[in-house]
Amino acid sequence: MKPILSVRNLKKSYNGQVVLDIEELDFLPQRIYSLVGPNGCGKSTLLQILALLLKPTAGSLYFNDLPIVWKRGELQKIRRQVTLVHQSPYLFHRSVRYNLAYGLKIRGIHGDEQHRRIHEALDLVGLEGFGRRNARELSGGEQQRVAIARALLLQPKVLLMDEPTSNMDKKSTADFDALIPTLIQRDLTIIQATHMPDQPERLGSVIIAMDQGQLDKSPPLSASVLLSPSQ
Amino acid sequence: MDFLLDSLIQALQLILSYNPEVYHTVWTSLYVSSIAIILGSLLGVPAGLIIGTCQFPGKRTVITLLNTLMALPTVVVGLVCYGFFSRMGPLGSWGLLFTPWAMVVGQVILATPIIANYTLGALSAADGRIMPTALTLGASSFQSSLQLLQEIRFGAMAAIIAGFGRVIAEVGVAMMLGGNIRGYTRTMTTAIALETSKGEFAFGLALGLFLMGVALLVNLFLNLLQQR
Repeated sequence: MKPILSVRNLKKSYNGQVVLDIEELDFLPQRIYSLVGPNGCGKSTLLQILALLLKPTAGSLYFNDLPIVWKRGELQKIRRQVTLVHQSPYLFHRSVRYNLAYGLKIRGIHGDEQHRRIHEALDLVGLEGFGRRNARELSGGEQQRVAIARALLLQPKVLLMDEPTSNMDKKSTADFDALIPTLIQRDLTIIQATHMPDQPERLGSVIIAMDQGQLDKSPPLSASVLLSPSQ
Repeated sequence: MDFLLDSLIQALQLILSYNPEVYHTVWTSLYVSSIAIILGSLLGVPAGLIIGTCQFPGKRTVITLLNTLMALPTVVVGLVCYGFFSRMGPLGSWGLLFTPWAMVVGQVILATPIIANYTLGALSAADGRIMPTALTLGASSFQSSLQLLQEIRFGAMAAIIAGFGRVIAEVGVAMMLGGNIRGYTRTMTTAIALETSKGEFAFGLALGLFLMGVALLVNLFLNLLQQR
């Protein structure tokens, strides 16, 4: 099976200090990957690079085996298939519906199809009837769920999530854990950064351990750990 | 004291009796400044957005220049424009001098840096996640900039209102480029200066009341926006 996203000799540095240095990493389609590691180990930086929001200092990225060219038009095409949900997601100062419709409008999806997708996505994250609510007046956990719904209804090929359950309560986290495995059946690859120790295994995800900007190749937490799927 | 009180009563009588000269002067001020502010917004808001979101060499210098232009004396703008629009000037053949359009040009020059600078200020206070969020939802750079503008819409409107406050109350440009021609380019500020010097204090006061009313409305609206 060919990987949907790959990185080769990836480096990111700020003022000469290397914060990310990954030789080889492949993400296969329809799998769940969990990036784990201490604070500042480079998980968020890697997600930002995979989302094409941050340009690496060196190295290459591949989407569906094709090299990604850092040109505006090219990046936009791939960003429409790779969506990131930030750790503290930003919701536009409008209604929940406006937030959900934003990416759809950009893709030229209007009318019934837009309505159907919004309805379905809100249903999926347990926020039925929230469409008219002001997005900025929701609780942190609800905002995070809106952000996930906003990404999901775009039907991306790769969903990147940075600590997706960090603001959620126990019940919402349990609902999220139940939802995630069902999503990969929709031709979706999920790459999440997480601090929750037992969540990666609970989701049946491939664990990618990181430390100091590199893949941590020391013995992993469990048998399911896979440092680099290509290995 | 009697003089002030009598003048105030006369001023109110002029307003309440719908004195055509008072109202025509108010109308000239409002339409010249409104056109100037629309054009100034079309230039200033995108300029602020581009300066705020793009990285380019000399950006610091451009911002310093904008700050300097904000404090531009109105008579200096009037003087420079006069040089361009006068019969001997490079744009003399356009015949703009002493027309409302000359005043519009001068006021656009006054308003644009203010609007650009206030927009820039609103941008620097904006959440840094707005553009990455729009981009990751599939927006182009242009679409994400528009979304950023949507998110700072109250700040941008405050910028436009601040610009309007500046141009409606200025004298230098209106006097030098409009020429204070009765029934044509006479604005509230130039009329106040002229009528007072002629001893028509009540007439000046009537226009002053209007001007203060406009300033009050502008500031009320600005406060309302800043509270949102």
